[in-house]
Amino acid sequence: MSAGVSLMLTLLFLTLIKSVPIVYAALGGVISERAGVVNIGLEGMMTAGAFSAVVFTNLTGSPIIGLIAGIFFGAVLGFVLGFAATFFKVDQIVAGVGINLVALGGAAYGLVLIFNQPGASPQVTQLGPGQLLPQITTGETAMIVLGLLCAFGLNWFIYRTPWGLRIQACGENPRAVTDAGLNPLRLRLYSVIASGALAGLGGAFLSICEVNLYSDQMTAGRGFIALAAVIFGRWTPWGATGAAVFFGFFEALQYVLQGRISWLPSDAMQALPYLAALFAIAGLVGRVRAPAADGVPY
Amino acid sequence: MLAGPAGALVLAFVLAAVAMLIAGVSPLDGFGALFQGSLGGRRPIAETLVQTTALLFPALGVSLAFRAGLFNIGAEGQLLIGGLFAGAVGAHFAGPGWLVIPVLLLLGMVGGGIWGGIAGWLRARFNASEIISTLMLNFIALSLAGYLVAGPLKSPLASGAETAPLLPSGWLPAFPSLGSISFGDTRLTISILIAIATAIVLSFVFTRTVFGYELRAAGEAPEAARRSGINMPRMTLIALALSGAVAGLGGAAIVTGVLHRFNTQLSPGYGYTAIAVALVGDLNPLWVCVAAFGFGILEAGGLAMQANAGVPKDAIHVIEGLIVLVLAARRYFATRATGAPV
Repeated sequence: MSAGVSLMLTLLFLTLIKSVPIVYAALGGVISERAGVVNIGLEGMMTAGAFSAVVFTNLTGSPIIGLIAGIFFGAVLGFVLGFAATFFKVDQIVAGVGINLVALGGAAYGLVLIFNQPGASPQVTQLGPGQLLPQITTGETAMIVLGLLCAFGLNWFIYRTPWGLRIQACGENPRAVTDAGLNPLRLRLYSVIASGALAGLGGAFLSICEVNLYSDQMTAGRGFIALAAVIFGRWTPWGATGAAVFFGFFEALQYVLQGRISWLPSDAMQALPYLAALFAIAGLVGRVRAPAADGVPY
Repeated sequence: MLAGPAGALVLAFVLAAVAMLIAGVSPLDGFGALFQGSLGGRRPIAETLVQTTALLFPALGVSLAFRAGLFNIGAEGQLLIGGLFAGAVGAHFAGPGWLVIPVLLLLGMVGGGIWGGIAGWLRARFNASEIISTLMLNFIALSLAGYLVAGPLKSPLASGAETAPLLPSGWLPAFPSLGSISFGDTRLTISILIAIATAIVLSFVFTRTVFGYELRAAGEAPEAARRSGINMPRMTLIALALSGAVAGLGGAAIVTGVLHRFNTQLSPGYGYTAIAVALVGDLNPLWVCVAAFGFGILEAGGLAMQANAGVPKDAIHVIEGLIVLVLAARRYFATRATGAPV
């Protein structure tokens, strides 16, 4: 195989791997916003997922239980935001920022309290460490497939099931949901819990699948990149998935280019995925429409 | 509004007690270490005021943007770019202090202003959510600054990635002695006075000027503001640029007052804590000063609490987040329906 082909393959595989956490978080963003709650807390929910996955893998020795813990604690933060946003009608953006601060600080606090070491956790058992494809582990493959299934499932759920249509209605016109005899607040709460679970799963991928430890601030803004993916993908599951892969590509590109092009410094290239997200949300002038009641308390 | 800020600060200390109990430390010992490390003498008080200053500038910047209905979560990046501008020029700028210091501080404002202005322009021109753009710009600022101090701006004499040190004429003067108490051997400089002066100016602008009135109108009743002829895109750009400028001034104040050079460890997250400070201060510049002092105690005492009582200092950041979560119940924005899609 020539060097060029192998480099392209590396870029392709890395794009798949780097996209996974953003895909899960972006799908979480879609369901939450479709129900009418802006989830600025995605970043914190990913952090909670990443950290708790490591704690429970360390505790039980099973990365599967770690993964479940990641989903659970992401969902717990989803519950907190969802409950505050629906029954307390708080400012969703401010509350989301609060969630992020709590999760990031909580993980740093937990590192010292549980592992007695600041900065990073000890290494734990990785999810599916064996190589399946040349550059992708078994665990990563499973998570990529599961991510696609989630996108497929969410798309089917939102557009093809009665509950999905009701959730859409919560984001467009919650009053109509009340008139139909349902409680939009409860539907919104369930959606934000699901959103947190998906973000927690994405976070768990970062810590126990892509690597095998938690380090401080390892989510590095991916929750916000996922929010950009939701907008870029026009609030649809497949659109958001595509946008997440697009941002994942730039993250992968940064790794592939590092050290290969001497005049491109690696520090500056770390900005690539963030620049891509910035251009993506700026390049959609006048062409996007969020769900009508998105971010508006009911 | 006394109830808001005061209540939130009381809550902060209750939550701190809970965090200490979780860590298996008696709150008596924990708070003992915290207050000893932040208020127990001349040096701890000076360090608390240094932390207060570092938080006050970005918190004032955040308040300004919030008042205009804009959610600036990019104070961290604006602080960093402000410090970068001041450090990059300061390393090569010889001259008398009365000239160098104001120029460096002004450069900090320009740097932060540009960084905030980018987000403002993206929002004004493309309706790109400032929430996402300001956060993306934090990471972009970090890579840009990291690249520059590791490469083009790296001091040949320094082992780490940092700019060459400022000449002593560019250092902010130490805080003046109070009677027999001198601060010459502490990190406390007159930058706290600059921060308080900035708060007073902002307070005046908000309440006594037409611009301040228009800015608040844009935030509190955007539709009415637009109909009354306020140029909303222009106000968005100006508010975010000014917000960034105030945060950037803070970055320059850290460079000229504390570090005397620029490196990317300038801020351990002041720009994020600043959001909590601004909300606890009820977005009122004078109350923000009080809130910054409260959080300054936590920041400065946190290290002592960790070292002497065994409570991880990150507990303080959990507390900040919980306060923000609780304060989200207060209304800061007229309606998000007029905001950019998030």
